[in-house]
Amino acid sequence: MTTGRATVIAERPVPGTPRPYEFPTPERTTLANGIAVAWVHMPGRGLVTATFVTRQGAVDEPAELGGAAVLAARAVTEGTELHDAIALVEAAERLGASIHAEASWDALTVGVDVPGARLSPALELLAEVLRRPTFPAAEVDRLRDERLNDILQARADPRRRAEEALIAAVYAVSSPYRRPAAGLRETVERLDREAVASVYSGMVDPGASALVIAGDLAGLDVPVLAGSLFGDIRRPAVMPSAAHAGTAGSGPAIDDRPLRRDRRVRVHHRPGSVQTEIRIGHPGVPRRHPDFHALSVMSSILGGLFNSRLNMKLREEKGYTYGASTGFDMRRGAGPFVARAAVNTEATVPAIQDTLAELERIRDGEVSDAELRAARDYLIGVFPLRFETPGPVAGALAGVHIHELPDDELSRYRTAIETVTAADVLRVAREHIRPEEAAVVLVGDHDAFGDALHAASIAPVEVIEDSLDMPGGPEGGDGSADAAIGGRDDGGMGDVAHG
Amino acid sequence: MSVPTVEFSDERLPNGLRLIVAEDHLAPVVAVNIWYDVGSKHEQPGRTGFAHLFEHVMFQGSAHVGKAEHIALVQAAGGTMNGTTWLDRTNYFETMPSHQLELALWLEADRLGTLLDALSQENLDNQREVVKNEKRWSYDNRPYGTWNEKLQGHLFPPEHPYHHSTIGSMEDLDAASLDDVKAFFRTWYAPNNAVLSVVGDAHRAQVREWVDRYFGGIPANPSIPELGDLSLPPTLGAERREVVHDQVPLPRVYFGFRAPVFGDERLDALDLAGQILAGGKGSRLHRRLVRDERLAQDVAFFTLGFVGGASISAGWATVRPGVDVERVERAYAEELERLGMEPPTDDELSRAKALIEADELGALSRVEERADRLSMYATLFDDPGLINRMLPRYLAVTGEQIRAVAADVLVPDNRVVLTYLPAETAQIEEAA
Repeated sequence: MTTGRATVIAERPVPGTPRPYEFPTPERTTLANGIAVAWVHMPGRGLVTATFVTRQGAVDEPAELGGAAVLAARAVTEGTELHDAIALVEAAERLGASIHAEASWDALTVGVDVPGARLSPALELLAEVLRRPTFPAAEVDRLRDERLNDILQARADPRRRAEEALIAAVYAVSSPYRRPAAGLRETVERLDREAVASVYSGMVDPGASALVIAGDLAGLDVPVLAGSLFGDIRRPAVMPSAAHAGTAGSGPAIDDRPLRRDRRVRVHHRPGSVQTEIRIGHPGVPRRHPDFHALSVMSSILGGLFNSRLNMKLREEKGYTYGASTGFDMRRGAGPFVARAAVNTEATVPAIQDTLAELERIRDGEVSDAELRAARDYLIGVFPLRFETPGPVAGALAGVHIHELPDDELSRYRTAIETVTAADVLRVAREHIRPEEAAVVLVGDHDAFGDALHAASIAPVEVIEDSLDMPGGPEGGDGSADAAIGGRDDGGMGDVAHG
Repeated sequence: MSVPTVEFSDERLPNGLRLIVAEDHLAPVVAVNIWYDVGSKHEQPGRTGFAHLFEHVMFQGSAHVGKAEHIALVQAAGGTMNGTTWLDRTNYFETMPSHQLELALWLEADRLGTLLDALSQENLDNQREVVKNEKRWSYDNRPYGTWNEKLQGHLFPPEHPYHHSTIGSMEDLDAASLDDVKAFFRTWYAPNNAVLSVVGDAHRAQVREWVDRYFGGIPANPSIPELGDLSLPPTLGAERREVVHDQVPLPRVYFGFRAPVFGDERLDALDLAGQILAGGKGSRLHRRLVRDERLAQDVAFFTLGFVGGASISAGWATVRPGVDVERVERAYAEELERLGMEPPTDDELSRAKALIEADELGALSRVEERADRLSMYATLFDDPGLINRMLPRYLAVTGEQIRAVAADVLVPDNRVVLTYLPAETAQIEEAA
């Protein structure tokens, strides 16, 4: 046992002088075919990240082919005119590299992390994958079946089920955001090689594409390398969707309208569930929005920081949950604003009431100086931490391209956060947090909390018997459209408030 | 580019606190990381889950820091932080803008010196409910969520402290009292049972001055208990099987094996075996089960390294709809068996090594990871220099060593097989 009493210093240390920090200014060029090239030399960062990004994603695909863009990205590494899938992966592994491709709502990215000395051959493989995929029919079919199985898995997992159910309750039937980025059963089932190849052929549009490279680039001539591998990509003959031309401001707005404008509760009933997954949400804002910085501060105070109002109430005061948060999923269109918590079943109704109360309170009056300062200081201070290594630097630059933000978006970020006032926070809360219009979605045991839920008069309640939607068995209970959690934009700055 | 060597200092305060400092001024960022040599293996019978519950209490305030204020101060300083509990240890860490380093050191010292001054029944009860909700969320209300605690239960005998999971049982969490918190703190949370690593944009002499100032007045515990002998027979001796009926749409077969302890070079070879078996789509299990024969939705294989008697090698295959579960199990087992019969090809081995080298280059570029590794190697092996020697060890592993360890470990009489079946299917089978 410890002997004697500890002597500690009561007085809190004061911070030293901050070392100056600027987001590294990328060098830029544009290839003759319109591809933007941005690169950042980060001395001593031996693992280099290279990302080819094109501003064509799931939101651009025809509704009847929902999931084609995501499937195309999964299939693009399944073989090229020169190598089959196994030869490709083995060639990459010999370089210590893995080539990965993803499609999000907003973009297709094909990227590689590789020791800098082998960047050149790795980029050659990346270009081969991007430009000459063959989409073998048998592999496309396999990946499609894997997605169909994943839909089954998503339905069984309470948290994925809650995310999908929420978006189906939030967005209009006509909105792409009502479906998962990776598609619904009825659209995925009809995807094949032809559909995937056709959607993909429109995605690699040089006018909407960028190559971003970050890391220790000593001795590398990036413009020459980029020009030789990507300089002769030509504009696709057919765009994937009539709705979007893929260039700035030239397409019609993305349909991100809500299903309804009144509050309602939808319960997905799971007998015996020990927790209730709660989601409360409505359409949020697009990433390119003048309120972005004020929203980041507001969202941190409401549900982003550990000491946010919502987490302090639900976790640290009540013990209802392991964690409660809010966030805006900012896309090219208005992705959802969502409050989230998984609570023990008995706490379901009080947790909903407490969450709604916090959504009201942030609209009722200005945040305190201490709250404002803590949120701003966090966002400003954590910014250099996020960009210690090449991957996040390249990701942030790709996000700037995807959302068509100004070149100085990242270098002015900290100043923009610094100037957010309590009045700004109140204004954006009143404008963008709308508890009266929110869908409240619950995945849990309605038998246990149903009476309390009806007595609480939160909103009209709809109860759906959830089922696992077994293969070959009956369809899931509600027959409503599903929506995905898979659509987050990994390159954007939308989640900057959430550490 | 080869992986840079990590240069570090390694010293002890008079009270026994081990301080490791590695300077790196590339970015204005610094990582603080403390490992306490206490984990779920130190828990008493009837108190499973306590080390982790205690970790939560460490964020509930101390003499000069209010409830949840530790996190508030770190975040307001532009930092990130967390704590984690595992079988062999508990760690706490902050990553800070470098001019805020002193605050992180002060915060860690205040709770190590004075946690009990602020302890209250109310805060303990609150965190007990938070942890129970963590257990529901991470284990009980998650498809296949019980696999880890089930594997531990089968791979380690009831009297061994690895038999129970870190999260513990609801009953034991309910039973935890303020006196348990006090005794646990007084026993294990002492400077001479801790390693503090500081990595990044800081100067060694300045760090030492601050650490002396903030930690120097915290007394050692001269009588930290020794754990008993945790050694185990190297293999289970007989296969163990369990069928689990769960709310899952697809069956999944989990495999668990008793493996050599962390630090044993045979475990390095098993890590490489994991890459060859299931690391990406060129790997053996993925190629056969997912691509070629289309039996599985996904596959995995990996090791969890522990120092007390044995580690775990584990993996799974999720069965595609309409495929016979036993066929998947057989194909998976055949691939493990094949690795025990003939060494991997030179190309397989060199590809696995190239990927490990690139992973190391990426991982060690982050100050947070470097600090955690230094604390880990110092705590578990009294050898922080392993941070620079692990990669050479991996690169020296031969194909024959991989074959040999596969032949010893990945065999039926050293195996636990957990089969998760959809609840509906199970009912049909029982009715038939």
